[in-house]
Amino acid sequence: MFSDLFYRLRAFLRREAMESEADAELRFHFERQVEKHLKTGMTREEAVRRARIEFGGHEQLKEEIRDARGVNLVETLFQDIRYGLRILARTPVISCVAVLSLALGIGANTAIFSLIDTVMLRMLPVQKPEELTQVRMRDPRSPNEEPEGTFTNPLWEALRDRQDFYSGIFAWSWAQFDLSQGGAVHDAKGMFTSGDYFSTLGIRPAAGRLLTADDDKRGCPAVAVLSYGFWQEHFGGAPSAVGGTLSLDNHTFGVIGVSAPGFFGLDVGNKFDVAIPVCAAQIFDGPRTRLDRRSWWWLNVAGRTKPGVGAEELKTRLGVVSPQIFAAALPADWEAKDQQGFLRRTFEPSPVATGTSYLRKQFRQPLHVLMGVVGLVLLIACANIASLMLARASARHREIAVRKALGASRARLIRQLLTECVLLSTAGALLGFFFARWGSSLLVRYISTGDNKVFLDLSFDWRVLSFTAGIGVFTGLLFGVLPAFRSTRVSLTSAMKGSQAVDAESRTKFRPGKWIVASQVALSLVLLVASGLFLRSLVKLVTLDVGFDRNNVLIVRANLHNAKVPPEQQPAMFDEIESRLHALPGVVSASRSVMTPVSNYIWNNFLDVDTPNAPTGDAALAFFNFISPRYLETVRTPLLAGRNFNDGDSKTAQRVAVVNETLARRFFPNGDALGKYFRVHPDPGKPALPIQIVGLAKDAKYASLREEAHATAYFPIAQMPEDAEEQVFELRTSARPSALISSVQEAVAGVSKAVPLEFHTLAEQVDDSLVQERLLATLSTFFGGLALVLAMIGLYGALSYLVSQRQPEFGIRMALGAPRGSILRLVMRDVAVVLAGGLAAGTCLAMATVGVLQKMLFGLAPHDTFTFVAATSVLAAVAILAGYLPARRAMRIDPMAALRYE
Amino acid sequence: MAQRRIELPQGTLDLLILRTLALEPQHGWAISERMQQISSDVLLVQQGSLYPALHRLERRGWIKAKWGTSENNRRAKYYQLTKTGRKQLELEKDSWHKLTAAIAQILETA
Repeated sequence: MFSDLFYRLRAFLRREAMESEADAELRFHFERQVEKHLKTGMTREEAVRRARIEFGGHEQLKEEIRDARGVNLVETLFQDIRYGLRILARTPVISCVAVLSLALGIGANTAIFSLIDTVMLRMLPVQKPEELTQVRMRDPRSPNEEPEGTFTNPLWEALRDRQDFYSGIFAWSWAQFDLSQGGAVHDAKGMFTSGDYFSTLGIRPAAGRLLTADDDKRGCPAVAVLSYGFWQEHFGGAPSAVGGTLSLDNHTFGVIGVSAPGFFGLDVGNKFDVAIPVCAAQIFDGPRTRLDRRSWWWLNVAGRTKPGVGAEELKTRLGVVSPQIFAAALPADWEAKDQQGFLRRTFEPSPVATGTSYLRKQFRQPLHVLMGVVGLVLLIACANIASLMLARASARHREIAVRKALGASRARLIRQLLTECVLLSTAGALLGFFFARWGSSLLVRYISTGDNKVFLDLSFDWRVLSFTAGIGVFTGLLFGVLPAFRSTRVSLTSAMKGSQAVDAESRTKFRPGKWIVASQVALSLVLLVASGLFLRSLVKLVTLDVGFDRNNVLIVRANLHNAKVPPEQQPAMFDEIESRLHALPGVVSASRSVMTPVSNYIWNNFLDVDTPNAPTGDAALAFFNFISPRYLETVRTPLLAGRNFNDGDSKTAQRVAVVNETLARRFFPNGDALGKYFRVHPDPGKPALPIQIVGLAKDAKYASLREEAHATAYFPIAQMPEDAEEQVFELRTSARPSALISSVQEAVAGVSKAVPLEFHTLAEQVDDSLVQERLLATLSTFFGGLALVLAMIGLYGALSYLVSQRQPEFGIRMALGAPRGSILRLVMRDVAVVLAGGLAAGTCLAMATVGVLQKMLFGLAPHDTFTFVAATSVLAAVAILAGYLPARRAMRIDPMAALRYE
Repeated sequence: MAQRRIELPQGTLDLLILRTLALEPQHGWAISERMQQISSDVLLVQQGSLYPALHRLERRGWIKAKWGTSENNRRAKYYQLTKTGRKQLELEKDSWHKLTAAIAQILETA
């Protein structure tokens, strides 16, 4: 076996030498034979003739010898490739179009797949990720919900100290830190990590040392570990950074080390800049720290299972220790009923080898839809190239017939044609790979929003590479097989006669082309319908009456806690800043509040009213905002009745509220809400003051544009039950909001230089909440358009080919007196048949599949008639145009020229 | 009446080549002459078809080739049996005997 391979290889590498050796060998034999005949007295001529008959064909023999030596397989492959490249170079435009459309298709598929890979499939870059499990809590009262994964610190500490089945267990939590010391906020992504975090994950330091259990003790010093990326970006990788300091929310932390490159944390989509111990929360919180709070849920917990503890055993043992741990961390101030529920919870392990990610929940469906979309685009591109190949193969009809007549076997010819296709698809895959690199990073930037930078490690792994290679080969075969088989089925005689035009064959020859184009039309229609649905959803969301005016509003977030302003001075300082901002030139109106519309924050609670049939349960839930008197005016939420707040609504005055229409309707169905009282469900041990409704405002979106209006109550910011140390200023501006940033900074610095400020616009904030919708609409429209263009190129190409094939026939028809219009009709009839078939199939296909989009749409059903009609009309119009151009060419054929050509 | 010549059954050419080379190394022409002589011109072998067979046998490692000088002082390619080729010859000879015996038996008795 080995010697055989060696022989073949040597035969291939030394083929020149072996060729001449074989030649010499055959010549020697031939000459000896001639000599022999001469000796018997033949004439030289006669001797040569005899020898030749006895010997057989020289060239044929050499080919047989090559076969016997086994070099042919390798050699013909190279031959095929060389020849294929020559053929492809002969029609550079067609080849380029083919490679480019394949590259787009393969690139789009690879890009989307690489996102799916990084977000959902890839293992964490830590030691033995398969041994890690996250600990979650199952609430027996809601068995079907996903178990909750966030812990309070007392709960985490109780679990840490009462288990013996994890070899390492750790907690972590994400936070945002301000690196600046006053002025514009400079954000860093922070991570609280418990002592065994790095050691359990097996992360090594790139410099200095990492956090250990000794760093995570109550009252710990302020130390921090930098991520490798942050170290490079922020400190230029300087070794002196270790041992230096860093300001986090105005607290000084000592840098003790840098973590290894390539480690970003356990949450796909996030990367940390700074890691600090869990105990450091006390430095930010002061005496009432979250470390002791039993209702402050902020930590995630995961651990590495001890060797020998199986998945089932782990689950059982977690269940067994649950009661005592929950009992140890029971929130004392909860109502008895809630405490009972708390005690009945159980811990459950869930695998975390691929990390956790909010992206998964948010983008799983959109990514799968997009994968489907780009898959269809690739199919359409393949269909295009198949019809191109088919047309070209027919044009090479005679060449193939000649090669067959010279003795090439059909298998050999098919191999040659397939080689050409694989060449095309390989070029497409290579180019597509570069498109994908660029496209996937573009996509990640697209789903990142101002507040939430998405970070994904997009280095391509083996899975992505094999995916690209796989679809490259697959597409090559897909568009290559049919043309290769069809075009090698030639009848030698008819081909050699050179008449292939007038016979009825030419019409049947177009048939596979018709099928291909019709299926392209069908697939394009599906894509157009999908993109139409997404576009219309987005338009509906964007043009929705949201109850406020998002344009020209600058949002300034200010944190007086981080500025170290004593709490009792804060209200006065907020008031002072507000009035200074209101007086700024270019500001129409300025206000402040605790919440802004469609931000990531909500504040809600249950309301009690004294009317009969008062709503209970979830229906009694209302959403709150605390606002200064000018708020409604600034965001332009109209006050429909009653009065606005004024300076008289002070902390000591009667509690008042402005409510929205939904709240008024739900709690006071008789339409007499104004002047009535309600109470907010009190915290245990606190009195519930009656609050009088003094105004009625129009409904406005609170947390998301997709929501049904929530019952919303606005309260005077002066009457807030507890102080908010972070408040938000809204500025309605007369010009571009961002132009005011520097004058706002100056104005605030006039009050205090230490206040960190964060700037957004309300329009951005609303836009950011539509990332998913915009992503789907943009990409599906782009790909829908691409599919349309590809399908039309396909139709145009197929028809042009048909017209050129039937040119002599049209010539004869015209010569016999057929009017030009009838020729046009003849061609357009073909277009109509293909189009009608494609549209019908496409409509059925779309009807059957768009149901899966239901959840991603807004304000319209998947079977939206308008969208279907519009998509069909656009497709039909473009198809008729694409068909008309070749048809018109057919009509203008000069009969004499056509016949002479024949 | 001229003697009728018989075409070689498939696959037997290899056997004959191996047998011819079992005596001494030979070049292609000599092999063909030898086969013709020994078979008293009964067998019809297209001389050319010898060469693909020789190369195939060489690839299988049953014979090996070496350039040498011929009886009339010209460069010629000599083939010689290898160890595995010798074994192969025994094997093939054996199965050939079995085959012919079996066929003969059927022809005699049936």
